[in-house]
Amino acid sequence: MKVIAFYPEKCDLCGKCEIACNEKIRNFRPEESPSAPHIRMFVSPLGPMARICHHCEDPPCVDACIGESLYINTEGSVCQDLDRCIGCFMCNMVCPHAAIVPTVSMKKALKCTIECGKGGLPACIIACDRGALVLEDDVNMMVKKTRRDRFKEIIKR
Amino acid sequence: MNDTKHHVIIGNCIAGTSAASTLRNFAPQDKITIIGDEDVPSYSRCLITYYLAGDVSRKHLLSHSRKWYSEKNIELNLKTRVVKVDTEKKKIRTENRKSFSYDKLLIATGSRPIFFPTIPSDANGIIGMRTYDDAKTLLKWSSPGKKALVVGAGFVGLKSAYALMKRGVSVRVVELLPNVLGRMADQEASRRIVERFKSSDLFEITLNTSVLGTEKDGNCYRAHLSNGEELAVDFIVMSVGVRTNVEILEDTDVEINRAILVDDTQRTSNADVFAAGDVCLSKELITGQMINNAIWPVAAAQGRVAAMNMLGLESKFDGNIVQNSVDFFGLWITALGDVQASGEGIEHKIYSTDVIYQKLVFKDGRLVGFMATGNVEFAGVLQALIKEKATWEDILANKYSRLIPVVATHA
Repeated sequence: MKVIAFYPEKCDLCGKCEIACNEKIRNFRPEESPSAPHIRMFVSPLGPMARICHHCEDPPCVDACIGESLYINTEGSVCQDLDRCIGCFMCNMVCPHAAIVPTVSMKKALKCTIECGKGGLPACIIACDRGALVLEDDVNMMVKKTRRDRFKEIIKR
Repeated sequence: MNDTKHHVIIGNCIAGTSAASTLRNFAPQDKITIIGDEDVPSYSRCLITYYLAGDVSRKHLLSHSRKWYSEKNIELNLKTRVVKVDTEKKKIRTENRKSFSYDKLLIATGSRPIFFPTIPSDANGIIGMRTYDDAKTLLKWSSPGKKALVVGAGFVGLKSAYALMKRGVSVRVVELLPNVLGRMADQEASRRIVERFKSSDLFEITLNTSVLGTEKDGNCYRAHLSNGEELAVDFIVMSVGVRTNVEILEDTDVEINRAILVDDTQRTSNADVFAAGDVCLSKELITGQMINNAIWPVAAAQGRVAAMNMLGLESKFDGNIVQNSVDFFGLWITALGDVQASGEGIEHKIYSTDVIYQKLVFKDGRLVGFMATGNVEFAGVLQALIKEKATWEDILANKYSRLIPVVATHA
């Protein structure tokens, strides 16, 4: 499966990823615009950070979804059937990466679904010319674990 | 002798179906049987109030079609009520005189609403809110102009009240506690929720009051309240709590203390019997005690863990904290852990504006609770921090923390 990996040391917070995500959503899924962008950069005490879905193994948001709107697709990414979202925000309550955007005006909780890059690259990755956002092949669970541990370290540091 | 096993699951809600699909993923050859007492395939129980309110369609609610079971080669027995489990002979007897043998058994029977002798269940007008059938019945009873009494302002009570109001029913909620949502809300959050409900003329609430009894009077019910008031309503929804469905295990070696006792592999005191979901206890991570944490995410995870262990594969359920999230008329509330803690060693940090109310609760310097209304973003981050037993310094060091109003204002 593919995941979006973030390398904070390469990021200079130019914001192109957010703009690209915004554009993509506005053009292809305009109904989701109030929640855009689904990648959100911010400055933490530790430097640049990205709020984006990690597509966890055993994702807690999928477990928590009482509307059965969030699901794991055949490639292992955490995707969403937006029609089924009832806006209870249980997923927001369990996501440690703050990757879900509880969108009050739509009464929906939205998130990045890598499906935005179907047949190519996700918009944010195309836009990132610093190499801070990379689409990584994550067939190997070990890769994922390492990546998650690295994030954990960053949280703790 | 062939080595395919027969896994039987009693209970057809999320704990049962999550177990069944895990079993099928890891054991393509084994036989899997689900026994359920309702007449529709699995659905999301949490959505029945949304269905009653008209927020989700019947098609959305009943998401698991029979095709889902046949594709996964799971034998589905609907309208089948188990009366007895014999753990010695490893046999299950049902009301319609069917009998099942099992190698491994999963009990995922959940629970049912409590009624009082003074307010007994009545097919003509006193009901609990637990199943699709309950929702259908309430839908039949509900029409604009009708009056309903909801006993108990917990999660189910308020969601039912909300749904009935959306159907034009005038609702009176009577609650024994001084606040709504039980342990999920403090006084201030409770006030804000009640205020939101009261923006509708269809809503009235009486706190600190119990319902002493009811009697049928022609087409309506009279309810006597402890404050001396007498109400005349068309029907009554009981939501004062639930009782676990454990009777089928009576006289077996499965240990029960109101709910089924399990270890962290979801195994009961009988090595071939597992339990998952609302029917069993699970570890509460703040106190370390075994509690009945009856929420959807816990049931889904427990079902999966139970299935792995039924197959002899290693998997553990780490426990969870008490939590829930809901919206009423556009006011969201998310509560995590112990939000009502008070007394010695307890410290609160509060952020309060007209729109947002957020509260952090510390016990002996460690985060044990978080509650938010108005702005619930980042609740998941605080959930992770509660589980890590974070101190205030840990919270400040978290990368997301300055984005959370209650943290940012105290930093």
